[in-house]
Amino acid sequence: MKKMLRVFALALAVAGAPAFAATADALKLVHERLKIAPVLKGEFEQTKTLKGFKNPLVSRGEFLVARGQGVWWHTQQPFESTLVVTRTRLFTRNADGSATNLMDAQAQPGLEQVSELVFAILAADLDALADKFDVAAQPAGASGWTLVLTPRDPNIAKVLVRATLAGERDVQSVRIDESRGDSTQIRFSRQVPAAALAADEGKRFQ
Amino acid sequence: MNFEPAPRPVRRLPWQLAAWAWLACCLVVAAHQVAFWRGSHFDTDVMALLPQDEQAPEVGIATRQLADQVTRQVVVMIGAPDWAGARKAAGAWQQSLAAAHAPLRASAMAGPDTLRDTLAFYAPYRDRLLTPAQRQRLREADPQSLVRDALAALAQPGGGARLVDWNADPLGLWPQWWLARASDTRARPRDGQLALEDAGEQWIVLLQETTGAAFSMTGDAPISDALAQARVAALAAVPGAKVLAGGVPLFAESAASHAHREVNTIGWGSVAGVLLLVFLAFRSLWPRLLMAVSLLVGVAMALSATAFVFGHVHLLTTVFGASLVGCAEDYGLYYFASRQGAPGEPPLRLISTLLPGLALALLTSVLGYVALGLPPFPGLRQMALFSVVGITGAFMTTVCWFPWIDRGVVRRTRFSAWVVDSFARYPRFGGARGTWLAHGAIAAACAIGIAQLRVNDDLRQLQGSPAALVDAQREIGRLLGLASPSQFFVVRGTSPDDVLARESGLTARLDALVGQGALAGYRALSDWVPDAALQRRQAEWTRRIEDGVIAGVNRTLGESQQRAGFAPEPLTLDKWLASPASRSARALWIGAVPMADDGTAFASVVMLRGVRDLAALPPIARSADGLPGVRWVDQVQSVSALLGRYSHSMGLLLAGGHVAVLLALAWRYGRRAWRAWAPTALATVGTLALLALLGQPLQLFNVLALALLLGIGIDYGIFLLERENADAGSAWLAVVLGAASTWLSFGLLALSSTPALRSFGLTLLFGILIVWFTAPLYRKSS
Repeated sequence: MKKMLRVFALALAVAGAPAFAATADALKLVHERLKIAPVLKGEFEQTKTLKGFKNPLVSRGEFLVARGQGVWWHTQQPFESTLVVTRTRLFTRNADGSATNLMDAQAQPGLEQVSELVFAILAADLDALADKFDVAAQPAGASGWTLVLTPRDPNIAKVLVRATLAGERDVQSVRIDESRGDSTQIRFSRQVPAAALAADEGKRFQ
Repeated sequence: MNFEPAPRPVRRLPWQLAAWAWLACCLVVAAHQVAFWRGSHFDTDVMALLPQDEQAPEVGIATRQLADQVTRQVVVMIGAPDWAGARKAAGAWQQSLAAAHAPLRASAMAGPDTLRDTLAFYAPYRDRLLTPAQRQRLREADPQSLVRDALAALAQPGGGARLVDWNADPLGLWPQWWLARASDTRARPRDGQLALEDAGEQWIVLLQETTGAAFSMTGDAPISDALAQARVAALAAVPGAKVLAGGVPLFAESAASHAHREVNTIGWGSVAGVLLLVFLAFRSLWPRLLMAVSLLVGVAMALSATAFVFGHVHLLTTVFGASLVGCAEDYGLYYFASRQGAPGEPPLRLISTLLPGLALALLTSVLGYVALGLPPFPGLRQMALFSVVGITGAFMTTVCWFPWIDRGVVRRTRFSAWVVDSFARYPRFGGARGTWLAHGAIAAACAIGIAQLRVNDDLRQLQGSPAALVDAQREIGRLLGLASPSQFFVVRGTSPDDVLARESGLTARLDALVGQGALAGYRALSDWVPDAALQRRQAEWTRRIEDGVIAGVNRTLGESQQRAGFAPEPLTLDKWLASPASRSARALWIGAVPMADDGTAFASVVMLRGVRDLAALPPIARSADGLPGVRWVDQVQSVSALLGRYSHSMGLLLAGGHVAVLLALAWRYGRRAWRAWAPTALATVGTLALLALLGQPLQLFNVLALALLLGIGIDYGIFLLERENADAGSAWLAVVLGAASTWLSFGLLALSSTPALRSFGLTLLFGILIVWFTAPLYRKSS
């Protein structure tokens, strides 16, 4: 059971972060083409296809990823909501600026691993990713690449079929296929790398 | 040297019958012993020695059940500053353990199928299960904001959060409920291992269970040895790694090998000393061999009888039993010393002359032990039964077999002649003024000493577990956030559902204390299976609220979702217990408890996690106030209180034992009885005074030793009094040999590192010495 929850967080991490990694030669290629910045912000468009829903659920918004700090995921359309993952907690930001904890590391030690994974992905820590996933990398066109991550842990595999990342210098899309039949496609755009967080951005993780 | 005035013929037939009957008896016991040693009937849990609360049988059952659950479990934690280091160290550790072929195997972790089955089992009841926080949220939130929450959740990433289809859980209540269940332990699966992080340190939890008997009687420590080796391997692989190991088997093994080592020390010390003494006295080891046979028979019978009556034998009982050597061999020594004093006397005639004295010696010892076994204290009763059967067995062997087996002529040796002759020169308390002054001075000294006597009822005195093991165990408990096995609530009700409902009353109060930080949480069955009424209420709530939320979402998104159907009947405890889904919490259910009024009640345990400190316990304990059927159990406190109550009554029982013995002596010796009794009485009082002056607190084991002293000391008095007109020198030889060998063996016990054994040894060290040297002082003037 606990694993299911971890998968939830893991899926969130994979979906929420401009992410990737891999094995051997193909990985090297991804490494070469991918530029990693300590801070990355941009916009996203997420399309969720859920069992039981006639129409796909499309949402748009902005995101901010800071290495060592966390992931800030701000949905603007069709409903305003903010989700934040840090090393120690997972919370939603309410309209009035207050935070509602969904999980914290005190009660859910597994969250720290999730954060670690997010940061491993950001740092393109291939070892850490290869630990958890079978990675297949392919070049796409002159400057692009695709990574298909298949979970090694049978518990995770029960929930997550695969995660597919594609991009060039940045990750441009992530697709998550769940064994339940649901899938999520996220496209990133207008990505801006930065060396550090702006002064007001740091507050988003508190 | 005195001879019997006229040799009377002895009727051989009764003695022959007795010898054969006793042999038959021994064969029965031998058969039982074979079965006994094949199975493991030894018990190391100190709790098993303590009386149970007769008012509440469920408390005893709960205690045993919680203990049984962990009797085989060994928990090892390997920590390193980073995860890779922890994994490497754990890998080396596992490899080393596998190579050691220790009686340990890794406990099976819940696999993906188990998790899926558990989810599938609970899914039909999803609508009936809510956490306290969810109850509050659903009660307070307005329908509009719940619809908004549902829409926001749909827009957010992280599809895997839903464990069931959206229409079966539109508000995402289900994963939160599981999160709350998962908080029973801090360890989480990671890369196929159980892991947790604490203060920047990464830990891997390796659960092992023992495969063999609980512990071996050979004194080996295969588990500890293998763990020590594996630890070295882990540290070699990752210098600076931390390895913690804990669990009941380690404590049991440590206690067993410790006890074994010390019993061995006592045994060998005793054997070496006694062999020398017996050789000096008899110039032959034959008597020693026969006495060994009588001891063996006694101990085997004691073990069989104890196992037969109690179902198991406690390790401490056997340690106490080893000390019976001192009492049991007195009979043999008395017999052989008397044989030496009357070389021409046929053994059968001699034994019939000695029989009354021997029987009286046995009777007085038995009286002392019976007094000890009077209180409803299982441990003391076990030791009392063990001792009574043990010395009776040795006595019967001496009386029934020795005269037939021992046929030769026993001659005085130079050493025995010296001892025998010394008796005539030994000083004597006459009626002189100096004697009375000396007694007055001794009495005053004793009074001063005893006035300073302190009583110590600390349970930890009984078990001398190595500090490193205790520390590791405590650290593991803290890291894992394990529920405490010594403080918990027991909830009793008229039906399983009644128990669950009563639990909810308690957990509602505990929730408030969790909020105040008095404790981190609790484990309760009602969290896994709420009572039927609550389930019904929650099912109605979730149906009303979720229908509204689904309608709202349908309106906004233009969908036409229908809420999924759920089980029409509540989840019952029976259904839950019958399913593998109950695996992790099943031990909390005690089940049917027979009540004193012939009725049947049902009971469960509510355990506490992460109690802040001892000061937090009283308010937690008060949560039970006013709740019917809820009882707070604090074993550490109640055991200490119990030992306090009993050490007082045991003192009285010891005094009662002395009175009973004195009466038995008076029955045979009339007004001379005090001569046999005075040395032991003096030794008892004197020992107490000496212990007090040395600053030794009085506890259970001192009282046990004093009971043994009563058994041994009175024997000496009887032997001397019995033969005062016939062959007092030979009786004195028996006393000297018996006292010296007992003293040698128990003197060594005083060196023990186990506090309990040390105080036992010290008590006998003083006591035997005093009896030994004062016994002849009270003899009649010749």
